[in-house]
Amino acid sequence: MADTGQVASAASSKDPTVGLRAVRSLRTLVERLEALQVGNARDQGWTWEQIAQQLGVTRQAVHKKYASGRGPLRRRD
Amino acid sequence: MFERFTSEARQAVVGAQEEARRLHAARIGTEHLLLALLAQEGSASAAALARHGLVHDSVAETIRGYGTADLDAEALTTLGIDLDAVRDRVEATFGPGALERVSGRAAADHIPFSPRAKKVLELSLREAIAMKSKSIADGHIALGLLREGEGLAMKVLHDRGIDTPELRRDLTTALRS
Repeated sequence: MADTGQVASAASSKDPTVGLRAVRSLRTLVERLEALQVGNARDQGWTWEQIAQQLGVTRQAVHKKYASGRGPLRRRD
Repeated sequence: MFERFTSEARQAVVGAQEEARRLHAARIGTEHLLLALLAQEGSASAAALARHGLVHDSVAETIRGYGTADLDAEALTTLGIDLDAVRDRVEATFGPGALERVSGRAAADHIPFSPRAKKVLELSLREAIAMKSKSIADGHIALGLLREGEGLAMKVLHDRGIDTPELRRDLTTALRS
């Protein structure tokens, strides 16, 4: 872990490298959490409609992202 | 192809998985293959790499410093997000490694190889054939890394000013002995 002084200066700096890297990491984190949560919801029998409603997107959007034949969360059955 | 790998070469492939996991990578890249080769301290190829200043821990540190990980804990800290805390909570609910498991409920322990790392393994076969070797040794994987010529492993070599033709000769000599 970086020491706190280094982190504090990084946070206050206007260096795009730092800011963009943080955005990228945040986006990755969101994507991974979404995949986990959608998978969990499907495991619990939620419909795509119900999942989409909670995520604030259309049913088609969530279905396209997670239910495709080669997608990570397709149903095993 | 895999059945022609020596036990050291297999260990490098398996080890690359470990290295990728340790660095929280979603894919196994060339840099993880390099680290896995370096981790086998007694091997001839690790010794050849060490003669050029490549040792496991310092290379791992260099790679961390590139900050190319999709999930960069340090970068998230600048936003006040503690990735370790997030990981702990996610794993408490979804099990160990859940955050690195991009493929949802699929095989929990498997991190896929990047196209470039796959290419390196293919090239290691070609290196073995070119040397008229019946098996693919860890040294051939190292030669494959050099032959592929791109990726983070090569960036490490370039940034350290390593003489790659000389390294290639050393690795080849080690393989022949």
